[in-house]
Amino acid sequence: MSGQNYSSTDDAALVKAARRGDLGAFEELVFRHRDQIYARAFSMTRHEEDAVDLSQEAWIKGWQRLGQFQGESSFTTWMTRICINLCLDHLRRQKKYRADSIEELNDESGGVERQMPVVTVNPTAGLERAELRQKIDGALGQLSAEHRTVLVLHEFEDLDYKEIAKTVGCSMGTVMSRLFYARRKMAALLADLRKEK
Amino acid sequence: MSTEPQLKLQAFLDGELPEREAREILAWTQRDSAAAGLLAELRNTRAAMAKSGPHLSLPESREFFWSKIEREIRRLEPGEKATPEISFFAALRRLLLPAGALAALAVAGLVLHFHGSKPVADNLADADATSVETTLASTDATTYRDASEGTTLVWFSPAADASPVPDKKPTAIN
Repeated sequence: MSGQNYSSTDDAALVKAARRGDLGAFEELVFRHRDQIYARAFSMTRHEEDAVDLSQEAWIKGWQRLGQFQGESSFTTWMTRICINLCLDHLRRQKKYRADSIEELNDESGGVERQMPVVTVNPTAGLERAELRQKIDGALGQLSAEHRTVLVLHEFEDLDYKEIAKTVGCSMGTVMSRLFYARRKMAALLADLRKEK
Repeated sequence: MSTEPQLKLQAFLDGELPEREAREILAWTQRDSAAAGLLAELRNTRAAMAKSGPHLSLPESREFFWSKIEREIRRLEPGEKATPEISFFAALRRLLLPAGALAALAVAGLVLHFHGSKPVADNLADADATSVETTLASTDATTYRDASEGTTLVWFSPAADASPVPDKKPTAIN
């Protein structure tokens, strides 16, 4: 397959060729999905250079582990999981991420999410998609790594509570608490952004 | 509102509650405006997130980004391809080879053990004995042992000739 034009080849065939050692097929996979993997790394780290490095590292790990890919999920889902795990390791190394108990997190946030007034108007109603993305992105940047990670895994990766707990290494109660805080904080931040507008 | 009902409200929104509990939460939101308001806020935030999955472009050219990946792959696995697919038979062979080796070692160990644990009297009797062993024809070897002189002679013959008469010079092992 080497030396071919891969643009019309589907992911499954590219993965198969790459598993046989075809680096050209793997390059095509990188080309197709590099933005998605980078976006996930950025949404978790909020740091452009780190996100580039981590997404590259994810692709290298992906190549090394191609033999383990069983095709139970899509190739991009599988690659995204590799990327997420690398990002979590990176955040832990940087001590930006703590697999803390609910109590410690409540200390961190002061249990403030329980006191925040409910945002009665949908703060994102009527926004264009691009503008909405920009606002969500800005609000995500103001969350802590712990809260952002849980929110990203739940909303963008569609993981359930149990899967998130397993991925980040904490209890389901902690996942629920972090997700609740993250959502309430996002609602408040988006409402503020709407007022500013 | 305390933490637990708030988290249950969220679990209801995310479809994480069993049916009976979900019905209870639904009934609660229908009679409690604060619960209904909080549920609406959580739902709006979730919907906004769902519509806005991050869509970012890598801030590097395709060639530059790939060149770093390729270099690292080649550095880590010079001249090798990615983890190859292993066929069923290859995997079986990998499993059986060490198992076979272990079994052979075990048999050799048992033979040595029983041979070495012969009664002392037998060993003393053997010490003065002179013996000729004709092995099975298929093995093509005949052994002569003289314990008093500490000599062992082994003849190797062609497979077709099962005669213990040597057709070559014997090999002496002292």
